[in-house]
Amino acid sequence: MGRPMAGHLLAAGHALAVWARRPESAAPLAALGAQVCATPAALAQSCEVVISVVTASADVEALALGPQGLIEGFAPGGIHVDMSTIAPGTARKVAARYAERGIGWLDAPVSGGEIGARDATLAIMAGGEAAVLARVQPLLACLGKTVVHIGPAGAGQVAKACNQMIMVNAIQACAEAMRLAGAHGVDLHKVREALLGGSAASRVLDVMGDRMARRDFAAGIQSRLHHKDFAILMEEARQLGAPLPVAAQTWQQLNALMAMGGGRDDTASLLRVLEPGPPPGTDKG
Amino acid sequence: MKVGFIGLGIMGRPMALNILKGGFDLTVWARRAESMAPLLEAGAKGAASAAEVAAGCDVVFSMVADAADVEQVALGVGGVAEGARAGLIYVDMSTIAPAAAQSISARLLEQGVTMLDAPVSGGEVGAISGGLTIMVGGDADAFARVEPLFARMGKAATLIGGPGAGQVAKACNQILTGVGVLAVAEAFNFARKSGVDAGKVREALLGGFAYSRILENHGQRMLDRNFKPGFKAWMHQKDMNIVMQEAHRLGLMLPSSAATAQLFNAMVGSGLGEEDSVAALKLLESLSGE
Repeated sequence: MGRPMAGHLLAAGHALAVWARRPESAAPLAALGAQVCATPAALAQSCEVVISVVTASADVEALALGPQGLIEGFAPGGIHVDMSTIAPGTARKVAARYAERGIGWLDAPVSGGEIGARDATLAIMAGGEAAVLARVQPLLACLGKTVVHIGPAGAGQVAKACNQMIMVNAIQACAEAMRLAGAHGVDLHKVREALLGGSAASRVLDVMGDRMARRDFAAGIQSRLHHKDFAILMEEARQLGAPLPVAAQTWQQLNALMAMGGGRDDTASLLRVLEPGPPPGTDKG
Repeated sequence: MKVGFIGLGIMGRPMALNILKGGFDLTVWARRAESMAPLLEAGAKGAASAAEVAAGCDVVFSMVADAADVEQVALGVGGVAEGARAGLIYVDMSTIAPAAAQSISARLLEQGVTMLDAPVSGGEVGAISGGLTIMVGGDADAFARVEPLFARMGKAATLIGGPGAGQVAKACNQILTGVGVLAVAEAFNFARKSGVDAGKVREALLGGFAYSRILENHGQRMLDRNFKPGFKAWMHQKDMNIVMQEAHRLGLMLPSSAATAQLFNAMVGSGLGEEDSVAALKLLESLSGE
């Protein structure tokens, strides 16, 4: 996700410096003229705004607050825009630590996947102070087509959790519909095509239904990332005493997909969890 | 044998008293000094920290709320590892995640302390009567040495396997009791809404293949509309969370546990968290037009 997004910022004429845990990830951007920094602290020292897209809450915490972290390099007035999908609680914690030093924070997770990152059509949901958002709005405009300010720090991640829950539940519903059609021996492409014209039409049915019908399970978004997201949102729901019965079942289907070794496949593979018996030789016992 | 006990809450206090009544030399410590008073009056010695308990004892028990507390007691500043003398056996009887128990056990071993995870089933009633069921994970020799002490607290202690195995058994216990309580509540709600006396249904089923301790005991409490804890719904929610987190980690499909965990979430969210988990019946009734 990060590489095409960084490319858009360069293309728009912004002076870009980059840091990546694996130096080879920074190479394509260095070739386009980006300055490569040795540590997050060095990156923060040379920038007004730092944008990050990493995997997990712990990664963001290490990046921001760890040894050689961004917080050590930022001058007061610096801004960290984190576009990863992490726990709202982590976003609030990092924002509070930055605030003590006059550093701005925005949690700005995105929806739209690799395609949205490539085409700069991401939907961005922002949590943080309005003044901070206003300052980075021109940068976000290079990356996505909508930016909605949801509320204070962490609120962007809450919206993202809602997005993930609706989307993966919809993928599961789509998989069940495709399984039902398949079990009847009916053409999945035709079912999808017909339903897209009616009230069950959705982006998920369009994109994921197509993948399922073509049995194209190459990621897209790797299902292990959705699995990770579900652990975050289910834990938050537990702490809040909010029942999520359908999401809880989807989570179990994702668990089963991980056990089948499908973690690096697209989440469309939820269809495979519903299909009878694993092929011989793939049973991991 | 000199024995220590850390954590003297609803469960820990009667468990420690039962050890004391067995004639053992007992030293106790609790975060809140007032929790220690009943034990000191009964003849136990008080210590100023977990480390001080460990320094004077051959076996140290703990009974605290969650994995963070166990970590603090075992490995934190002023914790068991700090004061432990060579050969100390540390027995944690709290309910925590198997993975957490394994990790704490491994780190204690590096410091020469042998740990058993020994969570219990049976609640406050079992703790007072010395009738707990104790599920143990860890070293067999350590288990054999601690067995006379387990016998003071419980009617059965079973060595399940290596480190964490006791917590695995406890998680299985929570799956069966959580899903079981919900199954009884659903059956009773089904009977009532169908215009049938749930008490008669229970009576009939007790003689058949659906017999269970939960149908007998929890079922009776539902009929009596006795929702006093017992085992609080928020605690069962916490334990089901351990189950669901492990399912996530291991790649395990637990659809019934998942549904049960969500019902406990709903109980906590609608203010039933402090009631016994049999109050699940009330939630089902209100969601079924009562």
